[in-house]
Amino acid sequence: VASAASSSFGFLRNFLGGKTISPEDLQKALAAMENHLMKKNVAKEVAEHLCSTVDKSLVGSKTQNWTTVEATVRTAMTDALRRILTPNTSLDLLHEVQAARKSRQRPYVISVVGVNGVGKSTNLSKIGFWLLQNKYKVLIAACDTFRSGAVEQLKVHVRRLQELTQRLGTGEVQIFDEGYGKDAAVIAQRAIEYGQRNEFDVVLIDTAGRRHNDDRLMSSLEKFGQLANPDKIIMVGEALVGTDSVQQARNFNAAFGANRNLDFFLISKCDTVGDMIGSMVNMTYSTGIPVLFVGVGQNYTDLRTLSIDWAVNLLMS
Amino acid sequence: MVLADLGRRINAAVNSLTSQSVVDQTALDAMLKEICTALLESDVNVRLVGQLRNSIRAKVASALNKEEKESGSNANAIKRLVQKTVFDELCELVEAHPTDEQFKPKKGRSNVIMFVGLQGAGKTTSCTKLAVYYQRRGLRVGLVCADTFRAGAFDQLKQNATKAKIPYYGSYTEPDPVKVSRDGVEKFKKEKFDLIIVDTSGRHRQEQELFAEMVQIGEAVKPDQTLMVLDASIGQAAEQQSKAFKEASNFGAIVLTKMDGHAKGGGAISAVAATNTPIAFIGTGEHVHDFETFSPKQFVSKLLGIGDIQGLMEH
Ligand SMILES: Nc1nc2c(ncn2[C@@H]2O[C@H](COP(=O)(O)OP(=O)(O)OP(=O)(O)O)[C@@H](O)[C@H]2O)c(=O)[nH]1
Ligand SMILES: Nc1nc2c(ncn2[C@@H]2O[C@H](COP(=O)(O)OP(=O)(O)OP(=O)(O)O)[C@@H](O)[C@H]2O)c(=O)[nH]1
Ligand SMILES: [Mg+2]
Ligand SMILES: [Mg+2]
Repeated sequence: VASAASSSFGFLRNFLGGKTISPEDLQKALAAMENHLMKKNVAKEVAEHLCSTVDKSLVGSKTQNWTTVEATVRTAMTDALRRILTPNTSLDLLHEVQAARKSRQRPYVISVVGVNGVGKSTNLSKIGFWLLQNKYKVLIAACDTFRSGAVEQLKVHVRRLQELTQRLGTGEVQIFDEGYGKDAAVIAQRAIEYGQRNEFDVVLIDTAGRRHNDDRLMSSLEKFGQLANPDKIIMVGEALVGTDSVQQARNFNAAFGANRNLDFFLISKCDTVGDMIGSMVNMTYSTGIPVLFVGVGQNYTDLRTLSIDWAVNLLMS
Repeated sequence: MVLADLGRRINAAVNSLTSQSVVDQTALDAMLKEICTALLESDVNVRLVGQLRNSIRAKVASALNKEEKESGSNANAIKRLVQKTVFDELCELVEAHPTDEQFKPKKGRSNVIMFVGLQGAGKTTSCTKLAVYYQRRGLRVGLVCADTFRAGAFDQLKQNATKAKIPYYGSYTEPDPVKVSRDGVEKFKKEKFDLIIVDTSGRHRQEQELFAEMVQIGEAVKPDQTLMVLDASIGQAAEQQSKAFKEASNFGAIVLTKMDGHAKGGGAISAVAATNTPIAFIGTGEHVHDFETFSPKQFVSKLLGIGDIQGLMEH
């Protein structure tokens, strides 16, 4: 088993150009492909779905001249992955912030949600840095009122960001916090009011990590969504997580009530998994919500917008 | 890989055997083949799977022989035996068999335990949990924060320790984690603490400097035991990361966190198998008492989706 798996595409080397693809050939190539995807941390459920899409698109068709069934499957899978990862709507966040600032008083509000320890606070600070580089006035609201040190963590980030902005001479950043124990939704609301009074462009709201199967904590997200009414809700998911990513994404997407979904994902810790970046496929597959950012390290500059070419290449490598 | 799926496949294999009217060698082999394939496809170490297969065969052999002679008079007993053997062997798999004896801190000498692991795995939280665990067992425990990197790391440890009434050491100004950890451990040793627990920053194998730092901290504090903290939801990266941590830090046991989540601990089997290192504790929540010693039986029964394992255990 191990050797067949390690050379996922290592059979059918003979060229079969122009051949009608038989169901048997296809099944064999697809089984290898499914295995390949699972090793990249794509959940079985998702890998199966992708393979069945490819199956439907190929059965009865012909291979191109000088290509094998295996190569044809590869091409079709590359397309399928690309389709899953490509957003249907534009994701120009800076443009939206700008438009909102022109048309209204209320600051643009972005919040992060996700399970424990995935990198919400760190990546929120990276987004803050990115906005500061674009000369915005940013308020960071410490609405994780539960985990020890969560408020101090953000205070340190804001202090560092203030030093950076002074050095770079662009943007302005402040913290808003009310310590521990209070209702996050209420603090978020107050932070936004404060932001509006003091002409902040953007309010970034950090929230506490929560298990997606904890009904009590998940249901508090609905109230949070209503009171804070963020322009964008970003779910941070980590590249390290396995199959559970499917259910994490589904549950967070459903937590804000019938009329509100997540806006996009930020996939953190992509630098820790090599080419096993399948969790982002799991999350977009299970919700249809696109990935805007990927986190690739622990520093402020380690944030990228997702390059679909990069992702698909790693997944197919 | 997919632990729930693994559990389902193993269950299906066992059930298909136990639903047959006669249990013979052929049926047993078919079941073993299916179980082993499922385990192998879950990245469980090939050698361990081989051992599991042989061991189940051996344990069932004499009963099966007798059964074939007496032509099916004991089918139900055999089925129960097979079920129990599969269950026990899976437990063995998750249990690991380290060559070294497991470390237990002793009162009256300064034991040092160092925590290592990936970013966000739950090290800082688990440090305090472990401190409370041993404090309740009568040891004087101190916590040292050697994470000088993550924003707010010292505050986090300090607030946790204060709530749990555990003495702590750390620094807001010293950037070198090697120095902080050495100073902290020395201080608690001087004060004759029984157990000193050292928290470190999150790191990953792709950044060599971070691993080098971990080695240096280890040299400075000379831990009696190093614990690797692993998030139960980790996927395919578990094996490579845990292997790399094993090589660099030679951790002696694993703390598996977030077992209260939906994930059933998929990467854990690969990490245990890849490093032949047992799981010592599991974290089952964010609060300080959400911490248990690990029982392979409980884990495997969750894996197999068996709520009530009594049926397997008693006979
Ligand atoms: N290597 C790497 N580490 C990251 C990345 N993003 C965050 N981290 C690290 O992950 C750890 C957890 O990050 P946090 O931002 O505290 O995570 P969180 O989701 O806010 O955690 P809770 O609030 O406790 O739920 C920290 O050590 C971060 O430095 C990333 O893209 N790459
Ligand atoms: N649900 C649950 N959450 C946990 C458990 N253990 C830790 N956490 C949470 O996971 C998050 C990360 O925990 P930390 O202890 O900060 O993790 P860490 O490994 O010290 O993180 P870094 O120092 O940034 O690498 C926090 O939100 C913790 O409350 C657990 O067993 N169950
Ligand atoms: Mg946080
Ligand atoms: Mg920590």
